[in-house]
Amino acid sequence: MTGTASRVELPSGIRQHHSAPFGRVVGSELGWVLRRPRNLLALLGLAALPVLIGTVITITGGPGGGSGLFAAVVGNGMVLPVLSLMLTQNLLLPLIIAMVAADGLAGEAANGTLRGLLLAPVGRVRLVVVKALGVLMMVLLAIGVVVLSGVLTGLLIVGGDGLVTLSGTTLPLGEALGRVALAAGWCAVQMAAVGAVALAISSTTEHSLLVLIATVGALVVFGVLEAIPSLDWLKPVLITTDWYSISDVLSDPIRTTDLLSGLWRAGCYILLGFSAAVARMATKDT
Amino acid sequence: MRRRNIALTASAGIAAGALGLTSLALPAGAQNPRLPQVSADELVASVMESDPPALAGRVTVHNELGLPALPGTGETGELLSGGDKSLRVWYDGQQRQRLSIPSGNGETTVVDDGNTVWKWDSAQRTVVKHPNSEETEVERPEPSTGAEPGEIAQRLVGKLRETSAVRVDGTASVAGRDAYELVLTPKPDERTKLREVRIAVDAEDRIPLRVEVNANGSSEPALRAGFSELSTGPQDAELFQFTPPENARVRTAEKPDTTKPDTPRSGRSGITSPRIEGDGWDTVVLSRLPEGTMSSPSGRKTDDDEQRGTGSTGPRAMAERVGSPISGSWGHGWVINSSVGSAVLTSDGRVAAGAVPQQVLIEALRDS
Amino acid sequence: MSGTADATEAGTATVPASGWDEPEPALCTSALRKTYGGTVAVADVDLSVPRGAVLGMLGPNGSGKTTTIRMLLGLTEPTAGSVELLGHRVPEQTGRALPFVGALVEGPGFHPFLSGRRNLLRCAAMEPALFGADVRGAVQQALERVGLAGAAERRYRSYSLGMKQRLGLAAALLVPRELVVLDEPTNGLDPAGTREVRRIIAELHANGTTVVVSSHLLSEVEATCTHAAVLQGGTLIAQGELKTLLESGGPNLLVSVSDNESGLEALRQLGVPARVEGGELRVELSGTDSPEVIAALVRAGVGVYEARRDRAGLEEIFARLTEGET
Repeated sequence: MTGTASRVELPSGIRQHHSAPFGRVVGSELGWVLRRPRNLLALLGLAALPVLIGTVITITGGPGGGSGLFAAVVGNGMVLPVLSLMLTQNLLLPLIIAMVAADGLAGEAANGTLRGLLLAPVGRVRLVVVKALGVLMMVLLAIGVVVLSGVLTGLLIVGGDGLVTLSGTTLPLGEALGRVALAAGWCAVQMAAVGAVALAISSTTEHSLLVLIATVGALVVFGVLEAIPSLDWLKPVLITTDWYSISDVLSDPIRTTDLLSGLWRAGCYILLGFSAAVARMATKDT
Repeated sequence: MRRRNIALTASAGIAAGALGLTSLALPAGAQNPRLPQVSADELVASVMESDPPALAGRVTVHNELGLPALPGTGETGELLSGGDKSLRVWYDGQQRQRLSIPSGNGETTVVDDGNTVWKWDSAQRTVVKHPNSEETEVERPEPSTGAEPGEIAQRLVGKLRETSAVRVDGTASVAGRDAYELVLTPKPDERTKLREVRIAVDAEDRIPLRVEVNANGSSEPALRAGFSELSTGPQDAELFQFTPPENARVRTAEKPDTTKPDTPRSGRSGITSPRIEGDGWDTVVLSRLPEGTMSSPSGRKTDDDEQRGTGSTGPRAMAERVGSPISGSWGHGWVINSSVGSAVLTSDGRVAAGAVPQQVLIEALRDS
Repeated sequence: MSGTADATEAGTATVPASGWDEPEPALCTSALRKTYGGTVAVADVDLSVPRGAVLGMLGPNGSGKTTTIRMLLGLTEPTAGSVELLGHRVPEQTGRALPFVGALVEGPGFHPFLSGRRNLLRCAAMEPALFGADVRGAVQQALERVGLAGAAERRYRSYSLGMKQRLGLAAALLVPRELVVLDEPTNGLDPAGTREVRRIIAELHANGTTVVVSSHLLSEVEATCTHAAVLQGGTLIAQGELKTLLESGGPNLLVSVSDNESGLEALRQLGVPARVEGGELRVELSGTDSPEVIAALVRAGVGVYEARRDRAGLEEIFARLTEGET
C-alpha cells in the first residue's frame, strides 16, 4: 500500500530468488496428485484387491494345489501381500502409475497448465524432477496400500503364524514382514522404472490417453515377446522379464540372482526414462 | 544452463541407460584362463580322488534337446523341456545337502540331513520323507561322483578309451572359476548322434563345473548343465535341516519313491528291468512297458559311463501325440527324435532308446 | 506485512525515471524468426517495447501474435534471432526474467477438478516472489481483484468462459509485475468483463507496469494502449506510439457520392483502390490525385456531393489487413 520506489515495487525476496522453494513446489505437486479423484479411487481399488483375493482364497480353500503362489497363500497370510504385488504389478500398478505420469506432463500440456508452470517460472529440469517425484509418490502410495491391505488381510482373514516360505521353512512374523518389505521395495523400483518411461512418453505428447496406451501396450508387447522362444536374446532388456521373480523373496534363503538383475534393469530404465523426459522437456516448445 | 547443454547431458543419460541394458543382454565375456598343462588321465584321476568341498551354488541347465514338453513329468520334465532352468544347491562337504528347484512360482526343495531325505513341494504343500538315504541325488553330478575310490578312475579312463578319444582341450571360465575342459569324442565307428561331451573341471577343487553335450550338426550345445554361481566354504548348518511346516501333509515313503515318475530312482526300480544292447556311445536300452498299462506313464533316463542322450517315453497317447509313427518287420510304433538321441515305443509296449539315430534302435528292436 | 500489501496492490510506483537500466526497453527482439517445417510463422520481427508502455499487438488471427508472445516468454525457442526480456536473454536466461513477468497466453489453463482458489494456490506455490504466509493472502487478493472471490470455492469445471478468463488474469497478477503479457485477454468476456479488463490494464499502466496486450480488435487496442505493433503474416508491418500510428499512413480522399456501387466500379476500372466506409467512398491517393478521382467519378455519371482529404490511420492499415485475410 505504500510504494515509494521509483520503479515497480516488488517484494524484496524476488531479487534473490529465481524460483520458488523446492519443498513448496513438490508439496503442491503431491497435493495436486492426491486431490485428483481418480487417483484416490485407484488407491481405494488397490486396497480392496488383497482383501478380495484373501477372502476368496480363504473361503474356497485355495485352488487346490494349483500353480504358484495361490496355493501358498492358504493359511499362510504373509504370502498374500507378495501375491497381491505380483498380481497388480503386471498391469494394474503400471496402469495407475502411467495415469499419474500422463497427467504430469501430457495432461498439463493439454490443460494449458504446463505453460503456467513454465512461466511461474519452474525451470524445465526442475519441473521434470518435481513431476518424477509426484509419480514416485504415487508408486510408493500404491504399493504401500497394496502391501498394507495385504498384510492386514493376511493376518486377520487368511491367518497363519509367521510365514511358511516356498522352501518349506517357517519364518517368524518379524522376519516375514521384512520379506514383505523387501518385495515392496523391489516392486517400487520396478514401478518407478515404468513411471520414468511413462513420464518420458508423457513429455512427448499432449494426449494423456496415448501415454496410457503406449505404456501399458509396451508391457503387453513385452509379455508377448517374452513368450517367443526365438526372441530369447531380447529377454534381458525387457523390463517385465524378472517380474515374476518377486516371489523369490519367499524362498529361503532368498533367491537373489533374478531380483538383482531385475534391479539393475529397472535402474537402467529409470535413468533412460528420466533422461529422455529431461531431454524432451528441455527443448520442447510449449 | 543452456537448454542444449541440458539436452546433451540428458542424452548422455539416455545412452548410459541403454548401455546398461545392453550389458544385461551381452554374456559376461570372461577370458579363458592360463593354467598349467595337465593330461587327461591326471585330470580324470584327480576328479575321482577329490572330495567336493562344502559349497553353495546355482546350477543352470540350458537345453536345446529339441524334446517336446512332456506333461506330467514334474521338475525333471521341466528341466528337460527346453530353455534355461536353474536350481540352487548346497553341500556341507560331508553328506548333507540341499537342493532347491523353482517351479512356476513355487519351489521344490530337497534336503538331505544325513539321516532323512525331505522333499518339499510348495505347490502341493506336501513333504515326502525318505528315512533311508544311502544314495544321493543323481541329478547332482558333482557330489555324487566324489565318494568313489581312486582306482576307479583308471578303469574308467581305460574303458572310455575303448570307445572315445579323451583329451584335455584348453581351459574355460565357469562361474568365475578357472577350469580345464575335458573332452570326450566318440570314435569314428560309434554310431551316435553325439559329437562330443565337454566337461569343465575346476582347476583348484577338481570338481566338474559344467557339462556340455554337443550333437552332430549343431555348433550350439544340445545340453549344457553347470554352475552359474559357485562359492565354496562352510555352509550354514541350518540349511541342511528341515522341519515340515505346521499345516503341511507329511508322508513317509516306505521304499525309494516309485510312484513319482520324475524322481531319477524310477529307472532303477521300474516295472521291467532294462536290457542293455551294445556298448559305448551307441548303447541302446531296451525295455518293456507292463502289459496292458500303455496308459500309465513311465519315465526312463539312462546313465552310461558318461552323460548321454535321454530317451523318454510316456503312455501311448503321449507317444502318439509327440512321436511320428513308423513300422517295419519288427512291428509298429512311434519314434521320438531329439538332437541327441531317439526313442521308439512299439504298439506292443516295447521301448528302445539311446543316443543314436533311429535306425540303430530299429535294428536293436528287430534283433530282440 | 508490507510484502503482502505489495503483492496485492500490483506495485505502486511509476515508470522508471532514473533507474540503472533506464534507456533499456522492457522487451526487445531482433530479427526474431520462427518456422515450423517449411511454414514461416514469424518472420524477422524487430519489436521494442519501452518500459511503462502498454503495447497493443494487433493482427488478424494467424498473424503470428501468439507465436511471437510464446517466443518472448521462452516457451518456444526461436528459429533465429534474439529476444531480450527485462534485460535478460531469452531463452537462455528466461528464468531470471520470468519472476517479474505475469502472463496469460493462449487462454486460461487450469485444472477442471480443482476449485478456482485451489488452482490459484497451485500457481502461487510456484511463484518465487511469494513466501510462506503470503501465498493465501495473494490468492485472495487476486481473486477479489478479478471479481471471483464469490466463486472461489467452485470447481473450475463449472466456470463460465468469462470466469475462466478472469481466473487466468488473476494468475497473471498474483504478484506485482514489471511486465504483464496478456494474449487476447477479452476473449469470451461480456462487455462488462471487457471494461473490467481495460480497467485492470489502466491500473497496471498507472503503476508503471509494462503491458503487452494482443488483440485482433482495433477498438480494444485504441481503448487501452499507448503503443501498437501490427503483425501480418508473421511480419511486423508497423509499430510505434499509438498516436503517431493513428496519424500515419498515406493520403486518402473521402468522397460522398450519389451511388457508392457505381462509384466503386468506376474507380476499379481506373485501377484506384477504394472502398465504402461510413456511407462514403474512401479512396487511396497513392497513385493518383484528387482531381483525377473526382473527374473519373463524374465521367461515370456519379454525383459528387463532397470530397475531403484524410489520412489513413491504424484503422486503415488494420482494416486492409483483415480484409486481405478473409
